[in-house]
Amino acid sequence: MVTLEKMPDVISTPSIPPATEAPQKAQIEIKDFEFAYGENRVLHSVNLQILPRAVTAFIGPSGCGKTTLLRCINRMNDLVDSARVERGEILIDGININAPEIDVVDLRRRVGMVFQKSNPFPKSIYDNIAYGLRVAGVTKRSRINEAVETSLRSAALWDEVKDRLDRSGLSLSGGQQQRLCIARALAVEPEIILMDEPCSALDPIATARIEELIHELKTQYTIVIVTHNMQQASRCSDFTGFFYLGNLVEFANTAKIFSNPTRRQTEDYITGRFG
Amino acid sequence: MIAHGKNATGSMPQRIVFWCLRIATYFVLACATYIFLDITIKGSRAVFITHPPFVNFAFLSQAPETLYVFDYEGKKTTMGDREFREWKTTHQIDDANVTSVAYSAGGIWPCIVGTALLVIGSMTFALLVGISSAIYLSEYSRNGRLVRLVRIAILNLAGVPSIVFGLFGFGLFVIFFGWNVSLLAGWFTLGLMVLPAIITASEESLRAVPQGLREGSLALGATQWQTIRKNVLPYALPGILTSSILGIARVAGETAPIMFTAAYAVRDTMPWNVSKWSEFPFQGVMALPYHIYVVSSKIPQNEYTARVQYGAAFVFLALVMLIALSSVLLRQRVRMRLQW
Amino acid sequence: MNGSTVTVTSPPAAHKVAARGGRTGEALIRLFFGGNAIIAVVVLVLITLFLFREGFGFFGGNLQNLRVYRSGGLEYVDIIRDQADANSALSRALSDVRVKELRGLMQKGRSLDEANGDLGAFDQFATAFSDAGTDLAGLVSDLTDQAAAVKEQTMLGSGAASVGPEDGETPSVTPAVAATVESIRASYPDYERITATMSEALRNLLANPPALTTPLAQEAFNRVNEKTREYLAAFPAQAERLRAWDPAKPVRWHQAITAFLFDQRWITASFWQDWYGIVPLLVGSIMVSIVALILAVPFGVASAIYVSEIATRPEQRLIKPYIEFIAAIPSVVLGFFGIAVVGQAIRTASESTWFHWVSFFPLSERLNVFTAGALLGLMAVPTIFTLSEDALRNVPRGFKEASYALGANRLQTIGRVIVPASLSGIMSAILLGLGRVIGETMVVLLCAGNRIAIPDFTQGLGAFFQPVHTMTGIIAQEMGEVVRGSIHYRALFMVGLVLFALTLLINLAAQRIAARYRMSIG
Repeated sequence: MVTLEKMPDVISTPSIPPATEAPQKAQIEIKDFEFAYGENRVLHSVNLQILPRAVTAFIGPSGCGKTTLLRCINRMNDLVDSARVERGEILIDGININAPEIDVVDLRRRVGMVFQKSNPFPKSIYDNIAYGLRVAGVTKRSRINEAVETSLRSAALWDEVKDRLDRSGLSLSGGQQQRLCIARALAVEPEIILMDEPCSALDPIATARIEELIHELKTQYTIVIVTHNMQQASRCSDFTGFFYLGNLVEFANTAKIFSNPTRRQTEDYITGRFG
Repeated sequence: MIAHGKNATGSMPQRIVFWCLRIATYFVLACATYIFLDITIKGSRAVFITHPPFVNFAFLSQAPETLYVFDYEGKKTTMGDREFREWKTTHQIDDANVTSVAYSAGGIWPCIVGTALLVIGSMTFALLVGISSAIYLSEYSRNGRLVRLVRIAILNLAGVPSIVFGLFGFGLFVIFFGWNVSLLAGWFTLGLMVLPAIITASEESLRAVPQGLREGSLALGATQWQTIRKNVLPYALPGILTSSILGIARVAGETAPIMFTAAYAVRDTMPWNVSKWSEFPFQGVMALPYHIYVVSSKIPQNEYTARVQYGAAFVFLALVMLIALSSVLLRQRVRMRLQW
Repeated sequence: MNGSTVTVTSPPAAHKVAARGGRTGEALIRLFFGGNAIIAVVVLVLITLFLFREGFGFFGGNLQNLRVYRSGGLEYVDIIRDQADANSALSRALSDVRVKELRGLMQKGRSLDEANGDLGAFDQFATAFSDAGTDLAGLVSDLTDQAAAVKEQTMLGSGAASVGPEDGETPSVTPAVAATVESIRASYPDYERITATMSEALRNLLANPPALTTPLAQEAFNRVNEKTREYLAAFPAQAERLRAWDPAKPVRWHQAITAFLFDQRWITASFWQDWYGIVPLLVGSIMVSIVALILAVPFGVASAIYVSEIATRPEQRLIKPYIEFIAAIPSVVLGFFGIAVVGQAIRTASESTWFHWVSFFPLSERLNVFTAGALLGLMAVPTIFTLSEDALRNVPRGFKEASYALGANRLQTIGRVIVPASLSGIMSAILLGLGRVIGETMVVLLCAGNRIAIPDFTQGLGAFFQPVHTMTGIIAQEMGEVVRGSIHYRALFMVGLVLFALTLLINLAAQRIAARYRMSIG
């Protein structure tokens, strides 16, 4: 953390938008949501609204349920045995994503995800980006070329890799790999991007690049980010939710959470008294 | 307080025990080496010759024949069946002085062909079903009762003796389906026998593919099958195939399951000499392991039979060992290449 | 999701359709893979089913077989036959005595001719002894002919009695059969007369035993003497059995099962009476497995300990693949090697002067329990080695480090920490090795000697150097030659079923123990 504090010049501190009181329609609505792994209830009655084209951060100590909630938004938890929704719903644009008639493949195309550990496929950089389009049935070469360039540019990786698109994605550095994963997610043109501690395995410089990128992306995408790092949450998010033991303790404008939390637990966590 | 003189080799009892263990280990290796050497040395006499081209192609490319041994003009003479009959047309020999030894002339070509056909067919079947099962177990299944049942079945199937597979294949394929002694019955019997090994090996390889690749693919909106086809199978396949080579060694090496499902002791026509291609899978074949059984149990051990006995055993052992060796080497390479 | 307002430039509609069409496709693919996975279960069920299907009719057939045995009077004849056979056995024992005496005399410096001359009195005795049984043997032979003819009739009459289930409690006995049985029983007065003469003759002989000079021979003769007295004492009981014998006495259904499980005879394709008792085969399989495990367990476990704890890296890299390589040797090649090399080597070794002290050496059979067991032991070593080595390697490092930290040396650490911690893993390895050994076919078929008889355990360890037949071997040997659907055919399936059940049990036990091992190391 100390190193981060020492390099404020590298990090372009995001301007926190003023708390817009204007009623804006939420893109993701989480209503009374309860979730369990087997007998083990991991989320208790979470209520939350996520606004479009803003960055929402989930913070909290390990095991507080923040990653679980994130993975519920694109139903990544379907992969986990014994995981199930106990109660409540998650609505995206007013539609319950856990409804039986929902095509989960469609959902995931609209809700992209970047993982904690960068996971480029052991294919070329080009094929990594093209993957999402190809599985969606796009075969036109020109369209894929275009998407590869656009998304690599959006992920601020184009200049570094444009000469070696045929090299393996695994040949990139850690930070580049993570940006490749972001570019890959962008290529399918999702509306929402979920990021699960995207910088936890990266060094401060690479972290700064990603944070910068998040800041730029929010003009086009709704971003939900899970982070362990409170500075990161305060630097790059507009709204912050604090989770503790499966409960959403507090959710508010980031500036408010970090300067004037209403709950005692939040304050203790933010000031580093536990967690 | 620290005792002096206790060097790395340790105390006396420790040294004695370690030496006993070492001797036991090397004794096992020595036994195996002795078997390899004995069969190789004696078998080489049938398979290799001292002059170019050094390999006795006749032994590898002819069918087994009866050997005739007789004294002619004071010399001990041996001849294969066909040669002997031809020879008899021009020479006079009293049949009473001729000893015949079954199988001991000619070569083992039909057996090699039969074994190859059995291996190809049964491995195709076993790989198809085995990889599919493994994909289901590793990619699709949830830990339900059915999956537990499948796993228990696989574990227990692995322990079923091969002769029981032979009985089963005989009861189901040969009799119930009425396929008689045929390649088809042998394919299924052998295929089902190696199935547990193939499933286990395939599942292991599939599980070695990192979960991140699956999640990454699914998060991009790929369907499950797209994910498996493009992002799991390609990385698991080398591992699956190399592990399955050991299955080939087992299929090629087993005798008991084919004794009454696919193998004939003698068959004069080669498998491709069928009137209709549809009859191809419904014919029995000669097989190398069964031939070895026949020549080692049905004819005596003497100077005339040693050639075919040791020759067949050597060729067979060499084939199976080559397969096993390639599996071991490939596995090492795959492990090195795919480090996640 | 088509109801949602798509705000971002959405992917072209074309692939949305594709995705939708793919949903049923996905389900089908899943079904396909799932279906394949079920095959393992289906096969296991089918194996059980077919072994039962083909094997179960055995009991009906065997019951019929046993009923014919009784109603046809074969059983009656066999009671007398046993008595006659016992006399011949005693005669054979006398000739053993003669050999001992002859050897003793020659050691004392007599030439062969002289010694034979000295034995004149004994020979007279022995001849008289065996002559005493001639009449009884003659009677047996007469009755056998009669009963065999009846049996053939019955078999023809009921259309090969071996097939088809039993028809009612008591099989209908044709008048012809009944007549013959009566004529067989009518021989009873003859029997009484013959045995009375025989008993008297034997008693007289025993009262005047020939003189023997060698203590060894005298001792053996006393044993024969003893046995003959017992034999004679049993005569009244035998006569009583014959009087009480009743051809109409029902053979209960469960006797078909107990005969299979407990009868000590496996006699097939005989003109007289077939017996399908699994005991000699089971005993053979077990004896071979015992030898194999006695050899394989120490070597397998020792090399596992050596490789995982003591060997240097290069040694490990050599030994591990090499031992795994042994597992790939085809069993038929090992079997051939047994016939060609090992059997002869064992017999030659047994003839060497080093082993003179072993009572049952030199061996007469080169193919015996030990030959097969030794080769199977080599086959089991890789199984036991690989799994034990895994178990040893999986002992958590912490255990080892803690032991070293307390000042234990390597031997103590191995003996008191590592091996005990992995003991259940090793046990499970041994059980799986046993499963492999008991189910192995080719080696026992080629090397166990294939004599269907329970070895003579009075020889002590010598029993392990006698030929046997095994469950796997009998199936492999006889399956190809039997008539489909006959009792013999079904009996072989029953043997397969027993084998299957046995290996299943061993396997389950191994899994249980392995599960406990995983728990114990956390």
